[in-house]
Formats: sequence, C-alpha cells, structure tokens
Amino acid sequence: MTLLTSADDTPNRNNARLNRTHHGRHAENHAGSEITGLWTLLRLMGRRDRWRAPIWILSLAALTAYFSNAIALVMDENSLSSMAVFAKNPVMGLITGPGYGMDEITIARFVVGMYGVFLMIGIAMMSITTMTRHTRAEEQTGRAELIRANVTGRHTQLLAALVLTLVMNLVAGFLMSLAFFFSEAKPDPFSSALLFGASIAAAGCVFAAITGVTVQLTSFARAASGIAGAVLAATFVVRGLGDMSAVSGGDLDWLSWLSPLGWSQQTAPYTLDRWTPLLLSAAAVVVLIPVSLFLQSRRDLSAGIFADRLGRAHASSGLSTSTGLALRLQRSSLTWWSIGIFTMAAVFGSFTGAMKDGAAGMPKEILDIMGGSRGIVDGYIGYMALYFAMIAGAYAIIAASGLRSEEAGFRTEPVLATTVGRGRWMLSWTLVTLLGSLWLMTLAGVGEGLGAAASTGDWSLIGPAVLGHVAQTASVWILLGLALALYGWAPRLQGLVWLVFVYSAGMAMFGQMMQLDEAVLDTSVFVHIGQYPAQDLSAEAVVVLTAATVVLVVLGVLGFRRRDLVTA
Amino acid sequence: MTTTTSTPTPTSATADHDTAAISMQDVVKSYGRVRALDGLSLDVARGEVHGFLGPNGAGKSTTIRILLGILKHDSGRISLLGEDPWAKAVSLHRRLAYVPGDVELWPSLTGGEAIDLFARLRGGVDTRRRDELIERFDLDPRKKGRTYSKGNRQKVALISALASHVDLLLLDEPTAGLDPLMEAVFQQCIREAKEEGRTVLLSSHILAQVEALADRVSIIRSGRIVESGALSDLRHLSRTTVAVQVETDIPQLTTMPGIHDLVREGTRLHFSADTAELPAIMRALGEHDIQSLTATPPTLEQLLLRHYGDPTGGDPNDPSAGNGADRAEGSDSASTRTRPRKGILTREKS
Repeated sequence: MTLLTSADDTPNRNNARLNRTHHGRHAENHAGSEITGLWTLLRLMGRRDRWRAPIWILSLAALTAYFSNAIALVMDENSLSSMAVFAKNPVMGLITGPGYGMDEITIARFVVGMYGVFLMIGIAMMSITTMTRHTRAEEQTGRAELIRANVTGRHTQLLAALVLTLVMNLVAGFLMSLAFFFSEAKPDPFSSALLFGASIAAAGCVFAAITGVTVQLTSFARAASGIAGAVLAATFVVRGLGDMSAVSGGDLDWLSWLSPLGWSQQTAPYTLDRWTPLLLSAAAVVVLIPVSLFLQSRRDLSAGIFADRLGRAHASSGLSTSTGLALRLQRSSLTWWSIGIFTMAAVFGSFTGAMKDGAAGMPKEILDIMGGSRGIVDGYIGYMALYFAMIAGAYAIIAASGLRSEEAGFRTEPVLATTVGRGRWMLSWTLVTLLGSLWLMTLAGVGEGLGAAASTGDWSLIGPAVLGHVAQTASVWILLGLALALYGWAPRLQGLVWLVFVYSAGMAMFGQMMQLDEAVLDTSVFVHIGQYPAQDLSAEAVVVLTAATVVLVVLGVLGFRRRDLVTA
Repeated sequence: MTTTTSTPTPTSATADHDTAAISMQDVVKSYGRVRALDGLSLDVARGEVHGFLGPNGAGKSTTIRILLGILKHDSGRISLLGEDPWAKAVSLHRRLAYVPGDVELWPSLTGGEAIDLFARLRGGVDTRRRDELIERFDLDPRKKGRTYSKGNRQKVALISALASHVDLLLLDEPTAGLDPLMEAVFQQCIREAKEEGRTVLLSSHILAQVEALADRVSIIRSGRIVESGALSDLRHLSRTTVAVQVETDIPQLTTMPGIHDLVREGTRLHFSADTAELPAIMRALGEHDIQSLTATPPTLEQLLLRHYGDPTGGDPNDPSAGNGADRAEGSDSASTRTRPRKGILTREKS
C-alpha cells in the first residue's frame, strides 16, 4: 500500500529520494529483470489476501481436526473393523483411495485413507483459485497493465503468485499435520503426521503449478480455473480407477501413479510411510513452472494462447428472449459439463464388469454385506447415481452463482432496462439450470448404463441406471432453489449454499459409516430419494424436494423484486 | 429477423401526452448513511432534450437508475411518462431506451448480437435503421464483446438504443470514450431523435455537448438540483466577460455595482459583469473613447463553476469542489487561498 502510493505521488519533496531508490533497485536487479518487483508484488498480494489466505488455511486445518476427532470419538474397536471391510470395497477405492493398511486398521490409517483425498481436493481448490485470482483475473480486469507499466518484470506477477500459493500450501500442510497429530485420533509418530500434511501440501503445490500453465491458455479467469478444475477431476478419476483396481486385486493399479493425487496417496502415512512419491510431485512442479514462464513469454499481456475469432454480425432468432440469452450464456459451460460427466459416467460404468468379477473372489461374508454379486452391481450403480447427483449439484450451484456474476459485472442492468422484468430474468436463468441439471443426470445415467452394460454384457442394466440417476435430479434442484433464494434476499451470502452442499455430501457418503442417527442423516439433501436400483425410489421424496425447490425459487424471485440491483 | 413497422412517434400521441415525460419531486435515496439523492426535484417536458449536469458522485446515475426502476427510492414522488417507474418498469421499458456510461457486454456475444438482443428485448429491432447506424458509427459488429474497447462498447449500446422506436432516451454519459468524429455522429443522431419528437435525458459532463444539444439543463449537486432552466435563462444568472481597450482609465468602473475581477493590462481592461447590470455598465463605457470591445456570454462551464467552483459554499469533502477551484484559476481569490499546499508545490514544479 505505502509503496504503491509513494510511487504514484511524484510531485513532492521525496521525489528525488524515491528516484534514487528506484535507480538503486534497477541496478540491483539488472540481471533478473524479468522478476523485478517480486517482493513489492508479494506484499501487495499478501495485503489483498490478508483475510482470504488465513481463512483458507485455517479452514483446511479445522477440517482435518474435525475429521480426525470425529472419527476417533465415534469409532470403537468393533465399528472400526466393520469399517475396514467397508473400506476394502471397490466403490470406496474409487472414491477415497488405495486403502493402505486397512487389513490392520487403526484410527490414523482410517482417517488418512478415507479423508486424505478430500483434503487434497480442498487444497487443490485453494491453489487454483489463488493462482487465478492473482494472475489471469488481474489481467482480465486490466489491473495487471497498471502493475506492468511500473518497474516490474514480465514474469514477476506469475512468480509472485506462485510463491504466495506455494507458501500457503506449505503452511496449510504443516498446520494440518499439527491438527491431525494433536487430535483424539492420537496418531504416532509425529513424522507420519508430517508426511500426511506434506503429501496434502504436495498435491496443492502441483495444482498451483498446473494453474500457472492454464492461466496462460485463455484470456478468461473463469475459463482458466475451469481448465484447472477439469484437470483436477481427471486426475481424481484416473487415480480412482487405479485404486479401485488395487482394492479389488485388479491389474490396473498403475493408473494411480499417473495422477498427482495418486502420488500423494501413495506415501501411505502410518502404513508404508514413504516420502519418495513426493519426489514426483516436486518434479512436476519443477517442470511445470518453466512451461508456464515459456508460455507467458510467447503471448501478449491480457491475450491468451488461443486467439479470438470473428462471430456473427447479427443475432440468430434464438437470441430474442431472456431465456434465449440465459441459454446462450450457460451454453458453453453446460457443454463442458456434459462432456465431462458423460465421459466420467461411461468410464465408471465400464468398471462394473471388473468389479463383478472381483466380487466373485471376495470372502463370502464381505460379499453378503454387498448383497451378492448381483447386489454389488446394483449397489454400485445406485451409489453412482448419488455420486453424480453431487457433481450435478456443484454444477447447479455454480450456474446459479452465474446469475450473481452477471449482476456484479453490470450486465443484468441493461437487460432489466428492457421489457424483461426481474422475475422473468431470474426464472429464465433458473429454467435453463433446472433443465441443465436434469440433462446432466440423464447423461450420467445413460453413460453409466452403457458402460455397465458393455462391460457385463447385461443390457437390462441401462434402464434402471437411467431411472436411478434421473430420479436424483430432485436433490440437485433443491440446492439450486436454495442458491436462488439466497440470491434474491442476500446475494452476498450465496456462497453459504456450498456449506449445505459439503455437509449434505459428507452426510450421504460417510453418515451411515459413522453410525449416525436416522434423524441426523435426514438433514442431508442427498439421502431421501434412494439409491436405485439397490434401494427403492421414494416418489414422495421426489415430489417434496421438487415442491420445496419451487417454493425456494418463488421466494428468491420475491426477494429479488424488492431489492436494489448492484450497480457500478 | 423481426422488423417493427411502427412510426417514429408511436405512443406519444396517447392519452397521457400532456403529462411531463419525467417528473420527480423531493426524491430521497440513501445507501446506509450516505444520502445519494437528497430531495431531488426534476422536470423534463415531452419532446425536449434535457441536459443533466454534475460531477461524478453527484447523483446523476442514481437518478437515472431510479427512473429505470433498477433502484428503489426511499421517499418522494416520481412519474415517468405518467407511470410509476418501479411498479410499471416492464411496460415503461417498452417505451424507453437506456445507455449507461460504462457499458459491459457479454464476453462471448458479438457486438451485433448484443445490439439485436437489446432491441428485441425492448420490443423489436428496425433492421434497416440498425444497419444504417452501424454504418454511421463505423462499428464492426462481428467482434466478440471481450475484444471491444470502451468506445466501441459504448457504440453498441448507443446503436441498440437509437435503433429502437421509443419515446424516451435515458442517456447516462453516453459518449464517454467516443472520439470526436463519433461525438459528431452522436450529436446528429440526438438532433434527429428530437425532430422525431422523442424526449432525451442527457446526463453528461461534456459541456460543449450539452450546450450544443440541450433545450434545458438541470444542474445537480450533492443529490439536489441546484439550477434548472433554459440555457438562455441560466445565462442571465451569470456574468458576461468583457474586455475593452481604452485610451484613458475609467475610474468609476472600480466602484460600479455588478463589476467583478477588474484587471488592467496596459490599455486593456478585463472584467466580468453581472448580466443584469450590463445596460448600466455599457452606458458608462459609452462616455469614453473605446477602441475595441469584446463581450463573451457566460459559458456553461462558468455556470457550473458558479455552483462547484467555490469550495467555501460546498462540502469540504467533495473532491469536485477542489477540481472546480483549480479550473477557475485565479478568477476567485478565495479558492486560491484555500487551495491545498501540495497543489501550489505542484504548480511551481511544473
């Protein structure tokens, strides 16, 4: 702050002195002129993130503390060993990890194996958003131009963002180690807790470096985050398939070694305690940073690697109504989600056969828990319906927040200055997202069903898979409804819907395992419809959730109609 | 492609044509503890081009957004084309078009798509007129919103607004970012709009533009209208700048009422005169041998500076007061005295 103002404030007595110091810095940094001003920019970023960074870091540490304490308090010897069986199930391998040490399970091994990957996803999100915020977002708004017009090097901003993000990761990793070590889980020794924290931080660091590359590709911050997020999803799926294979004794376990999340999980704290996989993470960072610098020197400020093309001179007839506009604005993101979800569903589905074969070799008592070899297929497909409902839930929340970014970007104002009323604008946007969620769940069901049918040769699986997935749409809608109600009444609090989302997803995935009360479980939006075909569908739940969505949307519209618009 | 075939003055001939286009009385709008509008009253007659003047932060945009029904006012009465702008926003917007000072476009939509979209959402696009305007404003409509400069984004909003057959144009600093050539095109378009009987509320701080276009002006300061009327009337309230070249000194000028800032430079005398006292002053001058005389009518800038240029009368926190003082440059000794020290240092250096 002080540095910036004094540099701008030329006509004062300090001018001469300031000039001298500027010259001095010049001389000092003559060799490394590409990164001149690194320290100043780091201070600026630290100033901008003086709340944001601690909140991220402490939230991650708090989440670690919560997981380890909750598990330690809930689990006794018995429930822990039944958990071990559950954790050896291939679906859990797919979702959580390679299941190291589950044969001789301890609380520490359980926390590491079950929750590690979610903490890694969390820290990766921190890296992606922090990197984008300080690089491409700055270029998109034009603020980077102001920075670059001063005595700063071409790569200063990127490197400062990398330093900031890597430091945030290391601090977060260390605090997570402490939070874990001093929890009720009482893990021993500390070096393993440190390895756990380091492996989480390593995943975050790799995604910082990956985002450093993706921000070079497109001229949009959101697209840059989106590409990095897609890489995260892909690495999650790749290691999931490898881990599923590992858990069920298949021969595809090498897939886990292709994923940055896999490297971090392969350290296996409290089981194998090996640091060597983190060398792969470090190597990835060391390779990716020069790549991002190279790409940056190949492009102009504010430009992407991909150039803009000319478009239509006049609007097509589809772009005549507010709904047409809402569809147009959500179209490209919906397209990417469609491709991603369909691919993921087809890949997951195609593992059904492998799982069925794996089940045949399982001990009888484990197989019984899964409901026999037919049962394991139904259970898998039903669980996938829940899983994709969570993914589509994230889509719906992100799409709903688009309504807010439209308003905050001052693009809603000119729309409302036409004959489009507030209710109509909001409902147009909502309609597209509602149908978009339904469409994504249908795609997921079709992908899952096709994959399952192709891998098992049982084509009768397609129908139930599609039905099971489509029925889950209602639990996606309620999240959308909540996001819209918040948008209408308190747009700044719209992010709270993510809390509901994380809570509901956590309850649905782990609530049963933690032997929580039915009544507590029911607070999750995801548990009501039923994981068809393994469980019965509740038509009542579909109707109630849909009706509640309608009520929430109407509430949101009422709120939006009475508040001021955010204006420039 | 929809093409509306309505006549240039479509609904202005309806029953409410004798009401004012805009009538605001004692309108108050607060943001928390900040009073953006503090009892603002504004009247705009049908068919007139009304200049709406004031510095940044005076409340111009807030006023226009209340007229659009995008912001809700706290108290006061408002009638826009005879209706309540908040309750009847949708039907009113069929009859008006709005151009903001900072146009934000969708990054992925082309300018041409945005022009068509806005016009269609307003009720239809006259494709012939649109194409003509695109030509006149020299816009490439095939470029994506994200690639336009500020001036080009402004053109997109202007073309879309001018291509619609509406009764009222609400323009909030519509030419910020346009080059002088485009400014001329804009002024021509506004004259045409006036000939077609449209009402225009033109918020601006480009005084030459307002002087060239406006029938009447309102000056806003800190959320209130401090002056409103035809430009010729307002000029009466101000001073005429007079320069005369004389052989001998005219001592009685120093004592005459209505003469200010008298300066002598050799044989030239400069002063400003209250317009009301002008006849008496001219008679007094007539008794001397005047070699040359120039009298300059007050410019809009001087009118404005009367309201903004004097920091003693204004809010000391209002940065516009300081700017005004700087621009008045020496004509007002009070402002020179109160100018911050730093400003003086700056001047000496440069």
